[in-house]
Amino acid sequence: MIKVMIAKPGLDGHDRGAKVIARALRDAGMEVIYTGIRQTPEQIAQAAVDEDVDVLGLSILSGAHMKLVPKVLELLKEKGAEIPVFVGGIIPEEDAQKLKEMGVVEVYGPGTSTQEVAEQVKEFVEHSHA
Amino acid sequence: MREDELINGMKARDRKTLAKVLSLCENFPDKANVLLAKLEKNNAHVVGLTGSPGVGKSTLMNSILNEMKDRKVGVIVVDPSSPFTHGALLGDRIRMQSHATSKNVFIRSFASRGALGGLSPSIYEACDAFEAFGMDNVIVETVGVGQSEVDVKNVADTVAVVLSSDGGDEIQMMKAGLMEIADIFIINKSDNPRSQILLSRLKAVMAMGKKDVPIFLTNAITGEGVREVVKAFDERFHELKDTNLLYEKRKERLVHHVKASLRRELDDLVDKVEIEIPDFLKLKSLVLNELCKKRE
Repeated sequence: MIKVMIAKPGLDGHDRGAKVIARALRDAGMEVIYTGIRQTPEQIAQAAVDEDVDVLGLSILSGAHMKLVPKVLELLKEKGAEIPVFVGGIIPEEDAQKLKEMGVVEVYGPGTSTQEVAEQVKEFVEHSHA
Repeated sequence: MREDELINGMKARDRKTLAKVLSLCENFPDKANVLLAKLEKNNAHVVGLTGSPGVGKSTLMNSILNEMKDRKVGVIVVDPSSPFTHGALLGDRIRMQSHATSKNVFIRSFASRGALGGLSPSIYEACDAFEAFGMDNVIVETVGVGQSEVDVKNVADTVAVVLSSDGGDEIQMMKAGLMEIADIFIINKSDNPRSQILLSRLKAVMAMGKKDVPIFLTNAITGEGVREVVKAFDERFHELKDTNLLYEKRKERLVHHVKASLRRELDDLVDKVEIEIPDFLKLKSLVLNELCKKRE
């Protein structure tokens, strides 16, 4: 059973995308923890460790992704958690590239098919357990 | 993580180890039982919060945690698994994320994974794990239940049934099942004027029976009335300890734990058996034989 956490760091309240992904992953047979909106990186990282999730998805539409994502990655590392992190939202191509260089496994923009996300999430988990 | 690492981590009260042990409880409960038997456990007060979907159980949990600030609290929140895809959306955390970074609070979400009583099949292991971690309190929130999901009474020392107005007339409250298992009633959303009507109806129904169950009114969002609820929990725990009822409760819990564990083993066996001839009696004796082989 794959356990995923979908979290929304920062101050934007646009959670439709996060909810659609959470629902799609649920329908793909995963156990999905949704944290709700306006979470701090610390809340997200601690929750991900406590819940021992296999993969973490961050949804950001505020434009603050270059501040928030590295902070979450750093905190996870600090806590000794090796959890693959993917990001969804409005992320410019050059930022997406930088985020991947920092260790984010994938960045999804608008129009991504939910089926594709579900399939890839399964792959991330397989790779991280390998 | 290896078993000795898990044991040492649990003894050192390492949070990440507890997270791993809870995963073991969820995915390999038999292994978890063996591991937990090697650890010392304290008796935490295990409280069950149950009630229909949307009465405010998770929000109430959040304000209960606010009141329990100085204690070590383990929280188990359960949401339903899909009978079709086995997936689950675990959303109870949303209401209590302000406690995600509390040093003393540990919240863990469980999916019901086919269990029909409103809890997770690994609930006994999970409670044991929290007790082995030295928690003062363990609070279990069931899935939003109907009238007959009453398994929480098997694991909790104290069951709080949460109600809100608009739950139907007094006949609904006279039915067997959920309403019977309450050690404490909490009428939430007390700002709704209809909660006074619910209170008088509940009192009238309780007067027909023999059990005297205290009733509390709360507004989980503002926290009004929650301090009194926590006080009632504590008083009841003292009473349970003083009267030795706690010992009886723990014996019952152990019996249910064994039953749950055996049922799980039996389910696995039946699922694995290959049906060559579709014959009930033969299949049953085949499974029984397999079960006996496991006794070593």
